[in-house]
Amino acid sequence: MRKHLTWKKIAVLASLIFIALYPFLHGNSYVMHIFVLFFIWAIVASNWNLLMGYAGIFSLGNIGFLAIGGYTSGILAKSFGISPWICILLGGLGSMVAVTLFLGFPALRLSGIYIALLSLIFADSLPSILTQTRKITGGSMGLHDIPPLFPGMERIHAYYIIFAAFLVILFVIYRIIHSSSGLAFMALRDSQDFATSLGVSEYKEKLKVFAWSAFLTGIAGGFYVHYLGDISPTTLAIEPFLLAIAMMEMGGIGRFPGAVLGAVIIVFGNEFLRLAGILRLALLGAVICLIILFFPGGLMQLVDWLDLKIARIRQRRSAPATS
Amino acid sequence: MPPSASSSRRAGILPGRLTIRDLINALVSGFISGALYASMALGLTIIYGVIHVFNFGHGIVAVLGAYGAWLFLTSLGLGMIPSILISCVAMFFFGLLIYKATIHPLLQKPNWEFSTIIFLLGFGIFLENMLLQAFGPRVKSIPPFFEGAIEIAFVRINWHEVSLVLIVIAFVVALHFFLKKTWIGQAMRAVAQEMDGARVVGININRTFSLAFAVAIAATGFSGILLGTKYYMTPHIGWDWMVKGFVIVVFGGLGSATGAVYGAFILGIAEAMATLYLGALWVWPVWFFIFVIILLLRPQGIAGGRTL
Amino acid sequence: MTVEVQEIDSFYGDLQVLRKVSLRVDEGEVVALLGPNGHGKSTLLKAIAGLHPPTSGSVRYRGEDISRASNERIVQMGLAYIPEERHLFPYMTVMENLRLGAYNPRARGRIGENLGFVFALFPRLEERRDQLCSTLSGGESRMVAIGRGLMSDATFLMVDEPSIGLSPALKKAVFDSIRKINQGRGISILIVEQEIEHALRLASRIYMMKKGQILLERGAADIEKAEIEKAYF
Repeated sequence: MRKHLTWKKIAVLASLIFIALYPFLHGNSYVMHIFVLFFIWAIVASNWNLLMGYAGIFSLGNIGFLAIGGYTSGILAKSFGISPWICILLGGLGSMVAVTLFLGFPALRLSGIYIALLSLIFADSLPSILTQTRKITGGSMGLHDIPPLFPGMERIHAYYIIFAAFLVILFVIYRIIHSSSGLAFMALRDSQDFATSLGVSEYKEKLKVFAWSAFLTGIAGGFYVHYLGDISPTTLAIEPFLLAIAMMEMGGIGRFPGAVLGAVIIVFGNEFLRLAGILRLALLGAVICLIILFFPGGLMQLVDWLDLKIARIRQRRSAPATS
Repeated sequence: MPPSASSSRRAGILPGRLTIRDLINALVSGFISGALYASMALGLTIIYGVIHVFNFGHGIVAVLGAYGAWLFLTSLGLGMIPSILISCVAMFFFGLLIYKATIHPLLQKPNWEFSTIIFLLGFGIFLENMLLQAFGPRVKSIPPFFEGAIEIAFVRINWHEVSLVLIVIAFVVALHFFLKKTWIGQAMRAVAQEMDGARVVGININRTFSLAFAVAIAATGFSGILLGTKYYMTPHIGWDWMVKGFVIVVFGGLGSATGAVYGAFILGIAEAMATLYLGALWVWPVWFFIFVIILLLRPQGIAGGRTL
Repeated sequence: MTVEVQEIDSFYGDLQVLRKVSLRVDEGEVVALLGPNGHGKSTLLKAIAGLHPPTSGSVRYRGEDISRASNERIVQMGLAYIPEERHLFPYMTVMENLRLGAYNPRARGRIGENLGFVFALFPRLEERRDQLCSTLSGGESRMVAIGRGLMSDATFLMVDEPSIGLSPALKKAVFDSIRKINQGRGISILIVEQEIEHALRLASRIYMMKKGQILLERGAADIEKAEIEKAYF
């Protein structure tokens, strides 16, 4: 069968080209800012999806991964003057270490709801820890004046750099999913006993997925702080958490590009949510409920449906004799 | 030797300024909050034990019950007991409705463990903010049941607090009776312990789930009312109560009512001790610490697997 | 006849487990269902008990179609299923388990009488009435499972491998009690067993099932153990 250009591939390519050219096409600074946020949140949501949807690990703490990466990178850059690029890497590593230690290892012995609770506590306790360490982390005021990626960085530079990071990280996630590790995760998710009987080391795979998820999200955190210039415990508040959940849900949990699609809708949609004012959170809560009740497969469900329709149209076109 | 120094030295375990009187007051205070926590933890336990769903909207349910009672009390001018009764009955039907409309369909699909939690989380946020809209952010409280206090030896207790403890004891006894002596209560225990066995004896699983959910919601609403007489309320306080509830049920053993009750008292007293020795700022870190320790060392909690 | 199964199919996902299975049990009969493991015998019992409804065909109880009836209704009508895994309530006592057996409204009024029968059949259970079921031995938990089924005031009992894993003495005791249940109370019984000799002595008719289909049906007196064993392979 000839490997033809599917409509999906065309759509993806077109979108990427659009994003790459946008600064020259329209170049609205605020819209570029939203795009950068989208890149970062797409990374967070995709990694969260890797953990929950693919490896089947019920984690509620991924915002913490972002925060640890961001704070680590910001503090190192501010206090020690290390190049932000290296700080971002260190931020990713810091997040990876913290998460593997506090979530990864316990996850080896805990299951389902316990991991969910532990990860919730993990993320929930970070604001308290931040407050206690206010000398280094700035407490509830947060960190400010974090150096940008390079001196004199402008929004358009950040746009392309973070877009590139977005592409690279998504590619890495894609490779992980389609590697033997990825298959191992999914086997564990779907049937733990069967997978273990095949020799899949549950321990190794669980740790790996936590490590990758935390590392990549931590790196996103690093880019986040060196772009925005500050970070505070509000990143760990209920709203970002709900937004991230909504992104995954909307995209369809366990389907690779789903989280990215969800991020598009939620990040851009959030701008409209602002208009709702105080009802913002109520609306967000309602959206989450409605999606999980009526569209559990998320947007990917829609994509699948479109796929089917288009395949049928193609079939009819290529076999006109049969009526 | 100055007298105050010697009395605290006799106490032995207390730092400088604290006395035996403070210690006993803290114990009593902790016991009372423990009782309130116990009433709150039971609803969470029933839902998890019978349906294996973890109610991430637990906090807002308690707040809802409390606000409901407050509403009937203040706006409709009903008496305390009618307000409480109507609130609980309303919560019961609310629970039935929610179960049938949302939880039941979610349970039929795969990934229900996850989807029910996400749903309840989102729904809780929705309700919390709707309550905020409806009632505003200013604190509310429900008036105490009795006025006045008594003083025994070192301790000063409000009559209201005494009544709270007695109410909770009555509540726990009533629940125990319900679970052990009524057919529907026994059915809930059967489904919690061995669902296949429940099917074999002809129990309607779906009906048992919906009733368990409704009873638990009503119980949680009731506990919210009790809490509302002691603490100031805003819609957001549900989160605090909920997180404490989570710690308690894991500490006691998920699914065990006995564990939840013991856990509530133990942790209530632990909280009071922490406030006494470490100060109010350390209360949350202590709750977190206990939670982490339990999850790492003995996730099955006190009850160790025994369920309703 | 009490129970009539006609040409039922049953699936687990895409896997077909029962193929056009037909079977009947008459009033007061003991019928044995024999055959290798994993070939659908338990699934057949579950289909009758309403725990895994068939996709086609019908199941009738005293003339009434129960193919799609709920487990609640079926127990109410007088059919009791005693699974191989027993599925006792571990944190309840023997007494509580037995009482729950009488959950259906019809049996609630006859608890005293049925309890008397169960304790007469299994005196050991009366001794252990306040003991938690998680602490019982294999034989004892089998007795509780059977007793619990009787407490539903059943007129038709489906017993899935009651003697599996028990010592020879206990096996004999189990079969004796099933005989007493049938003769003492006229309860019709469909029993799945691997103990061919015991089954032949207990039952008046046997069916043999292989690969989800009924291979043969005979009067118990008309067939030898050796012939059955041959048919297993």
